[in-house]
Amino acid sequence: MFQVISGRSVPAVRLLAPRAAVLVEAVRGRKSRNDPPAKSKEGRIKVPPPVDPVETVVLKERFTEYDLIMRALRLEFKEEMLRKRFEEETGSLAEERAKQEEEEHRSLMAWNQQENLRLLTLRQMRVQKEMEETELKKKEAVVQQEQAMQELIKEKEKEILQLQEEAKNFITLENLDQRIEEALDNPKNYNFAIDREGRVVRQTVLE
Amino acid sequence: MPRYELAVILKAMQRPETAAALRRTVETLMERGAVVRGLENMGERLLPYRISKHNQRHSRGAYFLIDFYAAPNIGPSLLDHLDRDVDVVRPTLLKKDAEVSTKTCCGPAPAAKSLDAND
Repeated sequence: MFQVISGRSVPAVRLLAPRAAVLVEAVRGRKSRNDPPAKSKEGRIKVPPPVDPVETVVLKERFTEYDLIMRALRLEFKEEMLRKRFEEETGSLAEERAKQEEEEHRSLMAWNQQENLRLLTLRQMRVQKEMEETELKKKEAVVQQEQAMQELIKEKEKEILQLQEEAKNFITLENLDQRIEEALDNPKNYNFAIDREGRVVRQTVLE
Repeated sequence: MPRYELAVILKAMQRPETAAALRRTVETLMERGAVVRGLENMGERLLPYRISKHNQRHSRGAYFLIDFYAAPNIGPSLLDHLDRDVDVVRPTLLKKDAEVSTKTCCGPAPAAKSLDAND
């Protein structure tokens, strides 16, 4: 019938300041809605609690008084708040304040405009300088590249000339026999010994 | 064209036969379109170990170096041909690296300075 509740399903206010010692709520319990009432409850007439007329009258009077006072207080405070708001919005000082703000706003905007112009000029100069620099760099790069190409061409020409020189010593069918005889007559020896001081000894025993 | 070096070991033979073998080899190279640059003789010496080839055991051989320019695709066929040649004990085809430039670009100069400590 009555279930103890605590934890997250309850607002914190009811947990922190409960009327009873344990927080309970009414719950349907064993019987559901459509079950008939018990035999022990047969003929039971539910009677509300009796009302005491004197007490009721006294309470009613006191309650009306209390409500009056509370409502009066509330309206007083409300009126005060509204008056303050009204004063702020359309009072005597409000116009001056608005004018001052407007002036301030105008001056700030003007200052902003000036700043913008100044920064614009600076930026334009900077951008132009950068563009010029990039142009210069590009030109320099082009020149460098051309130089590199020239050097490369020279290198290659040198190599070609060197190769042409060496080509005179190549072996062809005519000087094949001669070169074979030459080679067989001069055995080459690439072995040598060297010590820490750098003295080279080329005399070896070829066997 | 890339530059190759044929380090060939020929059988220890008499001079005319060696000359004929060399001539054959160079002509083989030239047939395959190689340009022979030079021919060097390293002498006839004892082989580092005894090599058996073409049903013969060799303990001495004549070392020759032939450097030439050739197309890269003649490698396998050339080696095949030289393997079949009876006078050739071992053919070895190597690629010649580009010459290392003698300019010192980095590091200390190559002088034998600090080697006197343990002398």
